[in-house]
Amino acid sequence: MNKPDFEQFLKESLEQTKDIAPRRDLWKGIENAIASAPLEDKQSSYWPKLTGIAACLLAGLMAWQVVLNQPQQNTMTNMSAFFEQQKQSLLVQYEAQPALTSDWQAQLAELESAEQAIKAALQSDPENAALLQMLAQVYQQQLDLINKVHEPRWQQI
Amino acid sequence: MLIDANQALSNTEQTPIDELVRKVQQGDQQAFEQLYRKHEKRVYGLCLRLLASPEYAEDVTQEVFVQLWHKIAQFKGQSQFSTWLHSVTSNIAISYLRKHKNWLQKVVSIEGSGMNEQSVDMCHGLNGLDKLVVRLPERARLVFVLHAVEGYRHEEIANMLGMAVGSSKSQYHRARQLLQEWYDNE
Repeated sequence: MNKPDFEQFLKESLEQTKDIAPRRDLWKGIENAIASAPLEDKQSSYWPKLTGIAACLLAGLMAWQVVLNQPQQNTMTNMSAFFEQQKQSLLVQYEAQPALTSDWQAQLAELESAEQAIKAALQSDPENAALLQMLAQVYQQQLDLINKVHEPRWQQI
Repeated sequence: MLIDANQALSNTEQTPIDELVRKVQQGDQQAFEQLYRKHEKRVYGLCLRLLASPEYAEDVTQEVFVQLWHKIAQFKGQSQFSTWLHSVTSNIAISYLRKHKNWLQKVVSIEGSGMNEQSVDMCHGLNGLDKLVVRLPERARLVFVLHAVEGYRHEEIANMLGMAVGSSKSQYHRARQLLQEWYDNE
């Protein structure tokens, strides 16, 4: 039997059912999440997250101020000092709050190794704008990760 | 209170969607499980096609229904519930993809790849076209699924993906070319 041409194959395939069953029952995780986080309690849980997001945004803006306004100084050192302060603030803020995954510190270590690689490259070219941008983004990733794993909603799944 | 999954499925077939949605909006968790059983395969299927990863698709399916529980009050019935649910699913899946790019992909804008052929063979539930779609590169795959499978217009897709309308059209063309090439070589 001849294979149908592509257009016919496409038409027939798109008309078929779009259902695919997941490999496992996902309901249990959903049930746990919605049972443990009733709507009224969710309102207050937004505040730590909002605070974290605001801190990240502020950190990003301040970092670019450092990059744009202080080209004569050691930009990498200034940026690093600023982000390290932000990171420590977040870690202190979430100290008493359990994290979603147990391996988040390994993920953080991976980002920190990327940070070290970029810093090493900056040693030989301290004002390289592309490297500075990469460094800022890696710092931002670290702050996002810390926020993400401490986000209350995900802890329930 | 928990109910048996089979009972929930059986009830699903008897209760109209509008009635289930109304009950869920009043905080009825049993009705919500019925709503989940009714839509889980469609939502998971969409997630799997968009994300090309069973693990990501499972995560996002759960995330969709958790968010649905909290946001269902926003559903006012102007569109069909399934249309609204697909829109919520698509947006959460796209957002998930953005968040899960590694730092290098974000910094240098490397496009995510699709599944390799070996992974496709091990992924159950995919029909002939799906097996090709999940191999597409990320942008071409997203555009193809949203346009050809889900019926979004290129203007809508451009808005969802943060790209130009022309880019959406060219990614769709690219997807079709790749799909045809793979299909012809099968």
